[in-house]
Amino acid sequence: MKVDFWGQEFQVNMWVGCIGGFLIAIMSSMFGFGGGPFMVPLMTLALRLPMYIVVGSSLLAIFFNTAMGTARHMQFGNFDLILFLAMFPAAIIGGYVGPMIAKKLSPQVVKRVACAGLVILGTKLLGLY
Amino acid sequence: MNIKFRVLPVLVLTMALLFAPEARAQQGPTINIDKTTLNNGGSFVISGQAPAGSQVYIELYAVDKKVRANRFDGKKDPKTGTIPYKFYITKEMPAFYKIIIPAEMAAALDKAKAAGGGWKYSEVLKEVGADAAYSVPAKIKIDNYQATIMASIIGSRGTLLPAMDDKETKRESMKLVKGQFRSVGNLLAAAVETTPEGSYMAKVSLRSGLAPGEYNARVIAVTDRIKEGDKETVTKLTSEVVSFENKIAFPTVYLKNAGTSINLLWPFLLAAVVTIFGVLMGAGGGFILNPLLVMFFPLPHTIVAGTVMPTVLFAQGTGIMNYNKIKFINWKLGIGIGCAMLAGGFIGPKLTEMITLDQFKFVFGWILLVLAALMYWQTTPGYLSKNKKEQAILKEFKKRAEEAVKAKG
Repeated sequence: MKVDFWGQEFQVNMWVGCIGGFLIAIMSSMFGFGGGPFMVPLMTLALRLPMYIVVGSSLLAIFFNTAMGTARHMQFGNFDLILFLAMFPAAIIGGYVGPMIAKKLSPQVVKRVACAGLVILGTKLLGLY
Repeated sequence: MNIKFRVLPVLVLTMALLFAPEARAQQGPTINIDKTTLNNGGSFVISGQAPAGSQVYIELYAVDKKVRANRFDGKKDPKTGTIPYKFYITKEMPAFYKIIIPAEMAAALDKAKAAGGGWKYSEVLKEVGADAAYSVPAKIKIDNYQATIMASIIGSRGTLLPAMDDKETKRESMKLVKGQFRSVGNLLAAAVETTPEGSYMAKVSLRSGLAPGEYNARVIAVTDRIKEGDKETVTKLTSEVVSFENKIAFPTVYLKNAGTSINLLWPFLLAAVVTIFGVLMGAGGGFILNPLLVMFFPLPHTIVAGTVMPTVLFAQGTGIMNYNKIKFINWKLGIGIGCAMLAGGFIGPKLTEMITLDQFKFVFGWILLVLAALMYWQTTPGYLSKNKKEQAILKEFKKRAEEAVKAKG
């Protein structure tokens, strides 16, 4: 498929994009997260698209998944309104405060810390200690 | 003939008198409780008199708060070699259930605890003789469905099978109870002290964060067990029911779907910290929020996944609007892949129901390790130099886009 973006033309292999997106969508809706950190590498590495076209478009693609996943979870009665109301305002506040702090920190350091934190959390979930 | 009719009532009366002392001795145990209200958990004492020499069990359960519990049976049957693909669901699981067993059986519980997550509720119940006391969940209504892979994909539970008989319901209810309350310590406690004369006392503590409302307790005294091979005949006496109320106050609230109560401050703080951190590392907060919620709160994974997902929906929506303002979204590409993701999002939530909490944790653990690798890769020099160029182009494009919008506006 050919895609136009700001006067530039890109050739996108939609088979890879759709199958990859489909699998990421199953995983992310099953476990209840967004899926952005997996979609961005899929589109930059597998589809060889530059970052500036990926950031917005991947978000749009993920939005479809999140909206559908939300509806389905509600249909199965897996949605708890009170818990949602407790977390939702916090998420909005975090969304405002986050970028303010981000300006003051080096993204490399943050990512290294996140990496260590994810390894700890991951091994904990796997019951390794 | 006439005599016979006159003799019969007399005979019955003599028999009744003869057996009366016996019947009185076999009266059910008495039960007393020292508190009628608890404030978000606490401890209380149940005491009373049971027949001398009997084993005393106390069945404790929430009366008015019921939760939904389900289990998917996808394990190969070792006898037939086929996979049952059955889905069991009930809406009548008591939000709290526990059996207090005689204190001298503590060793058996410790052994079960040491077995970890793979312990079998029915086996432990049998070992400590508490299956004689297991009655409330045995009577819940359980629907069972024959699922197929195809039906699961389109999101149906499958075809509803005829209701199970009492024995099957009891057996399946034990599996659902274990799935709901997870640990040995949640379901069983060895705390009943009995004197040789049969007076018993148990100090029971209810943890905080349980369902509010009415709880019932009743004592089951096992007076005799006769074992014949595999079969065991149990003679037991059941006491009357005593009730107490567990009260909770805001900001602790009861989560109907999860069957537990929770201090709302904690998920609020957790969500705030995690979203901030998520923004910093450039990944959504769901990755960290979900495992933390599952680990630290007694919430089922289905509820966690189903509630966190809508929370990120809003952030994504505003993100799309912001990018759209500066025309930074390729709609053809986004909708193209979005359609495939729509199909994936349709299937995923169904799968959440079909896995157990342990499987959820296991897969999530690997997902986080992969994510950690991705994060690490993003800090390697090769990626950074490439990213620097791309970020520069990104900034340039954003500037141009913003100028274009301004020029129009």
